[in-house]
Amino acid sequence: MELVVFSLLNGIVFGLLLFMMSAGLTLIFSMMGVLNFAHASFYMLGAYFAFQISQAVGFWPALVLAPLVVGVAGGLVERYGLRRVHKHGHVPELLFTFGLAFLIQEFVVLGWGRVGVPYRVPEILNFPLFTLFGTNFPAYRAFMVLISIGMFVALFAILTRTRVGLIVQASLTHPHIAATLGHNVPRVFMYVFAGGTALAGLAGVIGGNAFVTNPSMAALLGTIVFVVVIVGGLGSLTGAFIAAMVIGIVQTFSVALDVSVGSFFGLLGLDLSSNSIFYEYWTLTLTDIAPVTPYLLLVLILIFRPMGLMGKRET
Amino acid sequence: MTDRAAGSVRNIAWASYLRSYGLWVLAAVAIFALPHVFDSRANQSMFGQMGIFVVFALSYNMLLGQSGMLSFGHAVYFGFAGFISVHVMRIIESGFAFPVVLLPLFGAAAGLALGIIFGSFSTRRAGTVFAMISLGIAELVGALAFFIGFFGGEEGISGDRMSGPSLPGLSLGPQIQVYYVIAAWTLVAALLMYAITRTPLGRMANAVRDNPERAEFIGYNTQRVRFRMFALSGMFAGVAGALFAIQFEFLQFNNIGVAASGSVLLMTFIGGVGFFMGPILGAILVTFLELELVNVTQAWLLYFGLFFVLMVMFVPAGLAGLIMRHQPIWRAGILHKLAPAYGLALVPSLIFAVGAIGLIEIIYFTSTRAGLNTVMSVYTITFDAVKPLPWIIAGVVAAGGFVLCRLTFPTVRKVWDEVFLEAMAKLNR
Amino acid sequence: MNPPAAIHPPTAIQLTDVRKSFGRTEIIRGVSLEIRKGERHAIIGPNGGGKSTLFNLISGKFPVSHGTIKLNGEDVTNARPFEINRRGLSRSFQVTNIFPRLNVYENVRCSVLWSLGYKYSFWNDLNRLGDVKERTEEVLEQIGLTARRHIPAAVLSYAEQRALEIGITIAGGADVILFDEPTAGMSRGETEHAVNLIRTLSKDKTLVIVEHDMGVVFDLADRISVLVYGEILTTGAPEEVRANKAVQEAYLGVDA
Repeated sequence: MELVVFSLLNGIVFGLLLFMMSAGLTLIFSMMGVLNFAHASFYMLGAYFAFQISQAVGFWPALVLAPLVVGVAGGLVERYGLRRVHKHGHVPELLFTFGLAFLIQEFVVLGWGRVGVPYRVPEILNFPLFTLFGTNFPAYRAFMVLISIGMFVALFAILTRTRVGLIVQASLTHPHIAATLGHNVPRVFMYVFAGGTALAGLAGVIGGNAFVTNPSMAALLGTIVFVVVIVGGLGSLTGAFIAAMVIGIVQTFSVALDVSVGSFFGLLGLDLSSNSIFYEYWTLTLTDIAPVTPYLLLVLILIFRPMGLMGKRET
Repeated sequence: MTDRAAGSVRNIAWASYLRSYGLWVLAAVAIFALPHVFDSRANQSMFGQMGIFVVFALSYNMLLGQSGMLSFGHAVYFGFAGFISVHVMRIIESGFAFPVVLLPLFGAAAGLALGIIFGSFSTRRAGTVFAMISLGIAELVGALAFFIGFFGGEEGISGDRMSGPSLPGLSLGPQIQVYYVIAAWTLVAALLMYAITRTPLGRMANAVRDNPERAEFIGYNTQRVRFRMFALSGMFAGVAGALFAIQFEFLQFNNIGVAASGSVLLMTFIGGVGFFMGPILGAILVTFLELELVNVTQAWLLYFGLFFVLMVMFVPAGLAGLIMRHQPIWRAGILHKLAPAYGLALVPSLIFAVGAIGLIEIIYFTSTRAGLNTVMSVYTITFDAVKPLPWIIAGVVAAGGFVLCRLTFPTVRKVWDEVFLEAMAKLNR
Repeated sequence: MNPPAAIHPPTAIQLTDVRKSFGRTEIIRGVSLEIRKGERHAIIGPNGGGKSTLFNLISGKFPVSHGTIKLNGEDVTNARPFEINRRGLSRSFQVTNIFPRLNVYENVRCSVLWSLGYKYSFWNDLNRLGDVKERTEEVLEQIGLTARRHIPAAVLSYAEQRALEIGITIAGGADVILFDEPTAGMSRGETEHAVNLIRTLSKDKTLVIVEHDMGVVFDLADRISVLVYGEILTTGAPEEVRANKAVQEAYLGVDA
């Protein structure tokens, strides 16, 4: 019971973090048609910038400043990199972001070294919020949920209440609409890219200290965020939300539950002796399989429902 | 058509054969001579590695360049065939009489089989869906390789290429023998892949890449075209994987993972996807850089990334594309007219590169140094990295070079356009 | 007196109550049409009348919502484009639809391969296939692009691209050919040239053509169908159609 409750809580926190990253990626992907490989790298930059800024002026200014800096960096990348490559077509675009992910990782190594940095949860939030079945639930996790919800409300307000938001919303389902309405499409793209990367940056600020801040954190989450966006469906923030929560919770659960495949069959009354040829597969635990499940989901979704769960267009 | 005209057509056909296959003879000679000119063991090993990656990159370009399929998981076929080959090597060790020299046959079969399995569903769609499925498969297989016994887990698996029956004088002990075996297979595989570009399937792959809709209206099932190219490409990746197993006698989960797939994508793109020789150039250059830069600088991955991103931004046609753009100018006989412009571009570029590299090295040193040592050397100049002067000098040189580049490049571009137009005018006359 | 076959020559294309909807809008609203073997049949009608959609249904680009389509007596309803092509139907496109990075020669050569039985072969050397070469040269000669054979299709002039479009369409030797506005965007001289080309190339073949230029239509067609709002208003010989009151009102009114 204790395990279920805590896995669920942690899964929700992880899912919200995933959604914060995938919201930006969905916007970018749907509008610009670019699957940004470097998106998780901006999450990493968010964490590192927050670490650096909080060293100087503390966590709270970093919470605001770091995502802004990341957003500006994202805007510059769009303006001076992606826009240049755009005219060569989709493949070079994809490859550009692919190379960029690699480059950002190396820049992080260049700036902060190969091992991680001690980016910590601020003292004021470093206490157990409540204790259940003898296990503490950290207050910082609750804070992450609060920030996430605040972000969603803000994003929702921007998308439904502002002019730019309405254009963005319209072009999620009808990508050519912005152009036909006579808007400056490149500039809208730049804002969306900057906004999307800033969201990823924010996720990095609040996620980097809850988990780890090291040069491989981007590669670790990069593909998962891809999976969320594609499973959720092109142009659908709701789909991304559902996919993020499902993957977040499933991942957390399967790491927590240390059950082997064979024990399922044991429950069914099948006894598998250790000399069975598939023995090594029966002894695989859910923890082993956990990292594989999102990719399996990705492949299956792309084969059987390429528009994703809630997508309005095909990928 | 008159007899004379028919004869001249035949002559043209012969000339075109000579032109397209004559290069192969040259390449064969170079391949033979190379390890005798640079005859250290390390060099021979490097040449072998180049051969392996030439085959791998060429097989990759059957997808990307020829059929327009962007795969993020080509190492799956390479790696799988490699693991199969190591396992076969171990079976040979325990008594199966099969010459290790012919292992690439097993590799080809393994790559083809896996290509048929994964290709059957992933080639149903092209574009982003295909790319994402390939990524999913790569991540899936990469993660599985970590804990399934067949792949040897974290430790990997190893074999012995010297076991089993050997052809006379070919024990596969000395590196030079391994090199020649790899070279022979490379030549055969490359020739076959080149031949495939000139078959109905090869040409239709180009057509499907260019315009899948129209291809369906001239009788072709585009999915079948993609599927066949995919399976064949898996087969040749399998040959490369087996050669890798022969050269290193060891494979590990990272040989099959996403990073390995990314690396073949990198070399193919840098070489240029639009021409057959592109991936060859890319594989040779990237392998050389990977092996040599490591010895020169700790930050080699960063330079590598920079190189790749700059190529994507400014030379999307790759090295081969860059070279081929000079072809009309060369044919018009006015290549020398570009020399001053290139000279003008080179000097500021070099200044910028020297400054930037210096700066990167200093930053890298200070951020990754262990202990209290602050003395480092760049360009054989030894200095204290925590003092501001080296930073200032490197920064000023880099900035100066950058400004000079901005000033001179438009002129270079203008000269290039003029020379190009002149060449076209000459050729069309 | 005459055997029945002479009164009713065999049909090339037979549409029976074909309907097509996109969402809730029905674009083709029950078209039944019989196109005889060897005839030159023009389909005219106002913009948005469904002419291109009808072509897309016949050639297999879209599935029909209702009805059947027969080609040379065989049911090809909802078959894939390549299946229909293999049964002897080829089509051109209103918006030029060629292989941009391949040169003119390769464009034509690709269009020849299936019909000569080379399928997905990866063991035949293209340059040694005599029949492919012969047929490709022949088509190049017919469309007048022999001298431009090495030029990538993307950099041809518009008129040349239209000629190549026609070449790709006829190269496979299909006996039923659909031309979707082959003269769109051409000058008077180019149009005349294209019409002559089509006339020569479609000899002894069944030709269905969508065309806006009434001069071309009345010059070329044996029979004409008028498609208005997804329905066939009338089908008949040119002079009958010209005389038809309903057609004059609905469509020809401006010219007549």
